[in-house]
Amino acid sequence: MNSPLTEKLFDLLKQVTGYIYPNEIEVHWGILVVVYPYLTGLVAGAFILASLVKVFNVKEVQPAYRLAMLTALSFLLIAPLPLLLHLGHPVRSYEIFLNPNFTSAMAMFGFVYAWYLMVVLILEIWFTYRKDLIVWSQGETGLMRWVHRAVALYSTDISDKAVEFDKKMVKGITIIGIPSAFLLHGYVGFIFGSIKANPWWSSVLMPIVFLFSAIVSGIALVLFLYMVITPLRKEKIDIKCVDKMASFLFYAVIVDFSLEFLDFIHRLYESEESINILSDLVMNKLFISLGVLQVLLGMLLPLGMMVAIRLFKFEEELRKLLYFVSAILIQIGIFATRWNVVIGGQMFSKSFRGLTAYKMDIGGMEGFLMTLVLLSLPFIVLSILIKVLPPWEKPAKGTTEGGTMERSVIG
Amino acid sequence: MKMFLQKMPDALKRVLAVFVLVAAAAVLVRVVLPASLTDSRLHIKSTVEREMAHPVRYAGSEACADCHEEYKVKQGGYHKNLSCETCHGAAKEHSENPSELKPKLPRMREFCAGCHTYNPSRPSGFPQVNPAAHNPLKVCVECHNPHDPKPTRTPQECSACHAEIARTKELSPHAQLECTNCHTVPQEHKLAPRSVRAGIPSERSFCGKCHSKDSGRKEAPKVDFLTHGEKYLCWQCHYPHMPEVQ
Repeated sequence: MNSPLTEKLFDLLKQVTGYIYPNEIEVHWGILVVVYPYLTGLVAGAFILASLVKVFNVKEVQPAYRLAMLTALSFLLIAPLPLLLHLGHPVRSYEIFLNPNFTSAMAMFGFVYAWYLMVVLILEIWFTYRKDLIVWSQGETGLMRWVHRAVALYSTDISDKAVEFDKKMVKGITIIGIPSAFLLHGYVGFIFGSIKANPWWSSVLMPIVFLFSAIVSGIALVLFLYMVITPLRKEKIDIKCVDKMASFLFYAVIVDFSLEFLDFIHRLYESEESINILSDLVMNKLFISLGVLQVLLGMLLPLGMMVAIRLFKFEEELRKLLYFVSAILIQIGIFATRWNVVIGGQMFSKSFRGLTAYKMDIGGMEGFLMTLVLLSLPFIVLSILIKVLPPWEKPAKGTTEGGTMERSVIG
Repeated sequence: MKMFLQKMPDALKRVLAVFVLVAAAAVLVRVVLPASLTDSRLHIKSTVEREMAHPVRYAGSEACADCHEEYKVKQGGYHKNLSCETCHGAAKEHSENPSELKPKLPRMREFCAGCHTYNPSRPSGFPQVNPAAHNPLKVCVECHNPHDPKPTRTPQECSACHAEIARTKELSPHAQLECTNCHTVPQEHKLAPRSVRAGIPSERSFCGKCHSKDSGRKEAPKVDFLTHGEKYLCWQCHYPHMPEVQ
């Protein structure tokens, strides 16, 4: 009788409060389902930051443009992994393309993902890098020459006309890309928001809250990566670029905070029959992850720091430090947001009379170690992408500029 | 067409070529994959065929009725909803060769205990015993005819069949109340519990005898029956065997 499952349930039983139905004791969507919206959020956010450069012509962010695109791609490549691991049978996943179910929001994800990956991200990156790939391959030997030539699809045309066409395409794709990025992450919020039986999830605000938290996390991630990678390359951080990214981050955090606050007030004012159990949930089970991590450390503290930067004219080094700390705190906060949505929504009973608990495993397919692996994989992919497609290499001499992150801009 | 292709920028041609290749690969996969993997109707058909290929091992109760008198007895008793083969095992071969191939006759206590061991998840009134305490040295069929099973004597206590309710009630504020205090129990209920049911209170005033404001029972919690619960009967919200209000 003392199977590991029995022991786990026995441990959980002691933490159950009030009355719950027997099938509610086990939380089925575990940490992997928390990681998934976190990763897609970073993709959407990083892409929207990159699109600021191309569509809204924000010149200051140019040095981080290519880095943001590669970040979005590397996180997007890993984003479906937590779902595949959680569901099992990953080789069956192509079935959703072969037998599309148009009435299932979850099944439609495959198409949203494929559209975003193939039509938006890869295409935009390809047009951005095409000229540089050709130029690099001309001056290289060995394996890298062939890799660059293959990635450029063996195209050789670097005439002004061709480069001009590349630029036009990049701009066009970015314009399609913004609604696509909204679709990608708004869709994740839609999945949760449309579960009408669950009062913690069911809200029309859910897609838009997800979207803005995605933008916040994506900008913070690119800011963090830029501030880590640039000194590693022994280059000077472009403070104008960092200031601009931080100011977008600041506005995004304000909108995100207002939306979440609106959601909170709305729930309080509506005071549906679930309000008692939800307040119990927030005050007990989610107090640390929601009250402390998400709101206090992940939102109010960074917001306070950024307000302070605006009010007092801090010197450059202190500003960088505060931005850096804010970016990290925001990542923790957004991860806690995903945790509170996914895990929080499964902690209370449908009877509205009791709460269960979630106990994360250390090892195993759905455990803590697997989560660490999944969260570090995008960084490994990113480092490979940076090797193949360096976002900061200056194009070879004698060619026209192609919107690269120029050395001259940084140094 | 040729003009159009010539005008098209080189980069776009290459990208389109890749997309055409991907689309062609998708179509190829679609064509190469056997239809049984992609067509759900074929999928169902092949499943049905696979299942139908299994040998038939059961004969069905009607086949037993032709030869065995016990079938009629069973149809009049508590086991009427059980198929003969539930206890005697698959009997298709026996029905085809009755004299040589005999079905099994389960006489072990463990066999009956499979359904009749006490288990709180079984419905109230379902006959349940503790096999360790209930005549441990005898086989069940010595006292109970499996084709028409009955208790050997009429149960005197309600707890003989409603053990779970009795145990719950013992711990509740209603522990001191007899079952018959609230339920009317005709004598026939003990002999044919499913056809003659025990009665349950159908008036709010019944609970009001103890729980209304003007009741003389001081220890019972009081409510105002004019405003509390409106049109509902008390037991529709409060479980009388373990009322939650102290």
